[in-house]
Amino acid sequence: MKNDAAILPERAKSIRFSECSGDGSGIKCESESVSGAVSQRACVYCGARVVLNPITDAFHIVHGPIGCASYTWDIRGSLSSDEEGYRNSYSTDLRETDVIFGGEKKLVAAIDEIMAIHSPKVIFIYATCIVGVIGDDIDAVCRNAEAKYGIRVIAVKSPGFSGTKKTGYKMACNAIMSLVTPDVLPEKTLGVNILGDFNLAGEMWIIKNYLRRIGVEVVANITGDAKVDDLKKAPSAQLNLVQCAGSMTFLAKKMEEVFDIPFIKVSFFGVTDTSDSLLRIAYAVGDKEVIQRAKAFIEEEKNRVIPLLNKYKKNLEGKKAAIYVGGGFKAISLIRQFQEFGMNTVMVGTQTGSKEDYEVIQHLVDENAVILDDANPAELEAFMREMGADILVGGVKERPLAYKLGVAFCDHNHERKHPLAGYEGTLNFASEINLSMNSPVWETISQGGIKYV
Amino acid sequence: MSKNLVNLNVNPCKMCMPMGTSNAFYGIQKCMNILHGSQGCSTYIRRHMATHYNEPVDIASSSLTEEGTVYGGEKNLIIGLENLIKLYEPEVIGVSTTCLAETIGEDIEYIINNFYASHPDEKVKIIPVKSAGYGGTQFEGFTRALKAIVSHVDMDATKHDKINIISTMISPADTRYLKDLLDQFELDYILLPDLSENLDGVHQSSYHRLPMHGTPISEIQKMAGARTTIEISDTIKPEESPGVYLDTQYGVPYKRLNLPMGLRDTDALIELLSELSGKPIPEKIAKERGRYLDGMVDSHKYNAQGRIAIFGEPDFVVSAVRLCCENGVMPVIAATGSNCPHLKENIEKEISKLADILFVEDYVILNDVDFETIEEEAIRLGANLMLGNSDGRRIEEKHHIPLIRCAFPIHDRIGGQRVRTLGYEGSQILLDQITNTILKAVEGGFRETLYNTYYNEGPKSKYGLEPEKEANMKVLETPNPKVPPTTMTIEEKTANHPCYSCGASQKNARMHLPIAPKCNIQCNYCVRKFDCPNESRPGVTTEILSPEAAFEKYKLVKEKVPNLTVVGIAGPGDALANFEQTQKALTLIQEYDPNVTFCVSTNGLMLPYHAKDLAKLNVSHVTVTVNAVDPAIGAKIYKHVDFMGNRYHGEAGASILLANQLAGIKLLIDEGIMVKINTVTLMGINDKHIEEVVKTVKDMGCFISNIMPLIPVKGSAFEDLTIATNQEINAIRDKCGIHLKQMYHCKQCRADAIGKLDSDISLEFREKEEQFKETALSAQKGLRFAIVSKGGMLVDQHFGQASELYIYDYLDNEVQFKEKRVIGKYCTGEEDCDEKEDKIGVILRELKDCDGVISMRIGDLPSKRLETKGIKVFSTYDRIEDAVKTAAQDILKSKLPKSQELLNVSGGV
Repeated sequence: MKNDAAILPERAKSIRFSECSGDGSGIKCESESVSGAVSQRACVYCGARVVLNPITDAFHIVHGPIGCASYTWDIRGSLSSDEEGYRNSYSTDLRETDVIFGGEKKLVAAIDEIMAIHSPKVIFIYATCIVGVIGDDIDAVCRNAEAKYGIRVIAVKSPGFSGTKKTGYKMACNAIMSLVTPDVLPEKTLGVNILGDFNLAGEMWIIKNYLRRIGVEVVANITGDAKVDDLKKAPSAQLNLVQCAGSMTFLAKKMEEVFDIPFIKVSFFGVTDTSDSLLRIAYAVGDKEVIQRAKAFIEEEKNRVIPLLNKYKKNLEGKKAAIYVGGGFKAISLIRQFQEFGMNTVMVGTQTGSKEDYEVIQHLVDENAVILDDANPAELEAFMREMGADILVGGVKERPLAYKLGVAFCDHNHERKHPLAGYEGTLNFASEINLSMNSPVWETISQGGIKYV
Repeated sequence: MSKNLVNLNVNPCKMCMPMGTSNAFYGIQKCMNILHGSQGCSTYIRRHMATHYNEPVDIASSSLTEEGTVYGGEKNLIIGLENLIKLYEPEVIGVSTTCLAETIGEDIEYIINNFYASHPDEKVKIIPVKSAGYGGTQFEGFTRALKAIVSHVDMDATKHDKINIISTMISPADTRYLKDLLDQFELDYILLPDLSENLDGVHQSSYHRLPMHGTPISEIQKMAGARTTIEISDTIKPEESPGVYLDTQYGVPYKRLNLPMGLRDTDALIELLSELSGKPIPEKIAKERGRYLDGMVDSHKYNAQGRIAIFGEPDFVVSAVRLCCENGVMPVIAATGSNCPHLKENIEKEISKLADILFVEDYVILNDVDFETIEEEAIRLGANLMLGNSDGRRIEEKHHIPLIRCAFPIHDRIGGQRVRTLGYEGSQILLDQITNTILKAVEGGFRETLYNTYYNEGPKSKYGLEPEKEANMKVLETPNPKVPPTTMTIEEKTANHPCYSCGASQKNARMHLPIAPKCNIQCNYCVRKFDCPNESRPGVTTEILSPEAAFEKYKLVKEKVPNLTVVGIAGPGDALANFEQTQKALTLIQEYDPNVTFCVSTNGLMLPYHAKDLAKLNVSHVTVTVNAVDPAIGAKIYKHVDFMGNRYHGEAGASILLANQLAGIKLLIDEGIMVKINTVTLMGINDKHIEEVVKTVKDMGCFISNIMPLIPVKGSAFEDLTIATNQEINAIRDKCGIHLKQMYHCKQCRADAIGKLDSDISLEFREKEEQFKETALSAQKGLRFAIVSKGGMLVDQHFGQASELYIYDYLDNEVQFKEKRVIGKYCTGEEDCDEKEDKIGVILRELKDCDGVISMRIGDLPSKRLETKGIKVFSTYDRIEDAVKTAAQDILKSKLPKSQELLNVSGGV
């Protein structure tokens, strides 16, 4: 093939570039990143932070040298309806002497300082790589702090080297369990928890509005726009709705086991997913009125949104999409949304997709589409070029690469400032794809050309 | 003009002609400007220019008074010229007329001739410009001054190699850029005018009040001999154009270009300069261009959010529109206060093309317009950005539409003289300003905007709707036929309960619903396996029912066994470890028949959490299995206890269990629930301790004690434990009977037992139930599918890897989610479930009520086993809802007579 130079031999099995490539055993995935291959993946700490950070009245102390705190300070668009404290970054800022003599004292002092100035309901202590190595007993620090102050101080052991981002999700889920598990299980209320929405650009609010419209109460938002007191009510819910399957299935299973709350999966990306999910929620709740309302609401929204989407469709049909996102679930959802727009996905990759995800993907895309697991920039570049992608959907790291290649871009990550979930989100998505892919800059460049150089 | 008022300009988007002439004359070396008119004109113009350029601006006036106005202003102008020369010693004087001078019919050419005649030694070059304020705006004034200059200077038509560059009003900084550009091509040029130094001077120790820089007259004289003229303006009328004049008078060819803003217009100039100079485009310029391209791409998405209102002089508007359009910033308003009929023609195509891409339905191109109209249009068209001079500040202030200040004049900011808009770099600077203004609005406001748009926790109606809308959403309630409730006391209920009352055991039947698969403790005497229909002991059941299925089964049994008075939940796991199911099933049955007596048996671990719930569910009888009241003894009986997500072993586990049992029993008794205590006799472990157990629970108020022998189970830890004989058991019962009523009639029933205690008829019903389920669904013409899914959204798992089944019904052409059935959970320990055959068996049982199974893939063996049971197998990768639809259509199609077979309905396989 043409792209030999861009593919390391160790990576070859993680790429499928035509139906007949590979040894028939499927794509290699769910494995460690190849050293030096410039993976696009993040770390355990990142996973834990993503999940917990949206809790708006929690205090997040990053125990470690400053980098980890600095890079995650208020960079995500999780919105709050009240407290803004979570947008501050607290770090013990460990120095050389701390690394040598241990950072426990500093952490204890840091907690004391926070307690002296603020009155937090919960403090999460993130242990980063260095803490994992120098062996600070953060459990003991947390225990002592809880005894001293009578609030929850929860250790989130997330050294970067201890796994992938998915491990971090688990650590966060454990922290949430630790926070919400009551001494005595509360009485059940007629309501649901929403798991795995982080209220990016108000998406949690959108979903809550939908549920309210169909008559389903929400007990706790986990963790978008969450407050500690609301989270603690989570065990009384009758049903869990799991949205970001990658991060939250673990928590849903725990809650099923401990609190006896069954869960169903939902997705609010695209008109079909949104409609199907609302109906599924209605049937799961099992209330006739809710089912009726859901049907009526879906009908109303479809009538509103589909004509608008059709308007965009004429600008989108026949174009080629490339996808590189975190999990398989989102990738699959995107392929389907592109199909609805009449667009063809020519390249698709994920950071942490599973074998099953890739099997589904393989059957959704054309036989010549390229499928990549844990891809690196060199591969993304080579295949976007080869396949002639018109737009890439990815995170901000991938954006400049797309632009350098003259490929439009859609940010489907945490930094966006407009919702992509629900019916309005689908419209935003169509609009964003349109405005980037059909921006006059591409014509200016292709007609004016790259000149004088 | 104003849109609303034909006769009024409200908030002008223009200034007058002399303003333009003054600016132009500032680009000529050692030149002063005198306005022939009344005093105000020059003062206003000086004030405007001084705040924009932040430079001293000296403009003389002939200061016409009443006398001059009536009798002519010649005297004033001549004195003015004399004084101006005395004060400034200029080499050139521009005499611009004003409204007043033109209206009273001043002939300035004549006056100037008179001046020269009366001052024969005067060498100053005086250039007259007819610039009545009403004759045009500053834009026309500027070009008119330039044309006056070229037509009044004594030209030398000797050919030379220089080129003429003539521009309309551009900033000093942009002028310097233009000069630098020409230098880079090593072109010899004459730039008219050049206000780069005079209106943006350097700080010096000595100040010259006469502008020392700018284009010298000696150079201007040579313009007639230049090889070509580049006129940087595509909107000057030909009759006003200095380039056209030089062409017609002296045959200097000319080329007109747009202001070099944006990629295309800069390219045009660069390419022309390259052509004229015969030099390749320097690398420095090529890189600037490349960077601009890169910048365009970087910001294109943000720019698409811009709905910009552009206003100002025609050249500026044209080029700014082109820059915005090539970057995807939508110009919803392009407006000039000048009269430029060609404006629309120049830019409409460009704007409408972008509007089409971005689905912008409306925009306006306005000629000869005032700010009131711009303001109205900006509101109507939802402009979120303005680009132009600082006179847009009122709109900015009032409507919070940010204004990017460029062009002339800028009064409320510093640095008007340094505004850069030309060339690739100038374009980049302007574009960054545009993008950053958009970003500033987004970054500074998105949280608030999104909050206001989507956060909806306020009152309104229950469903977040306005009341009228709510009324339209009312749903009709279909009443359920219900058995009328009779009030039965707990005593009556107990009397009817076969387990509590010996008499009742003879005539009343009970039914155990096997809806509770999970258990949260592991007793050493228990192995919960399935499908041992011939075995009868606690913990055994043939199948697990969903609450709904259990309800259906109850109805069926009640029909056949009218003496069914008691419904119990006895596992096979723990009723409270499956509280959701327990609650659902009991609620359903109670709604159907409020007279039924509910009975629940539990190990008591979760009792403190659910005791009150049980009371609410009208559970009247609860059986708690208490084998020990001493954790040390309990530790020998319980392998582990799973509590709150943790697994406890030994005494720790036994202590938690005991504490919860006792706390829970207390709560039950407080709620008035009859509590029966079951105790399994474990020889050598608790046989001597049972009396202690009974005494303890008696003190708490329990109703009856049931001491049972151990049934040894193969595979359990106690499989080899000595079994207590009947005599031994009865001896213990007798001893305990002193403390608490004993149950002598226990039959140790299965978890799915049905009937009287001594006759389990559950086997009979198991088969009937299957028939029932089939008829129940097909009666409604519905189909039921089990979907093998990992994610729960898509069919994305192999049949063999199923740990959960999603049950969907296809009913009334609609896909309805029914429930999730967890398979893995039925096996408590790994050791129980490692045989594959067993697991398929478990799945098959779970599928009994299904018409089809949909999975990503399925092996031959299970596929055949399913098909023999009449369950259709589908393999697909679809969304669950879509897959169910397709599969249902496939089944329905196959049921149709051949002639009616639907076309084009593709099967799921």
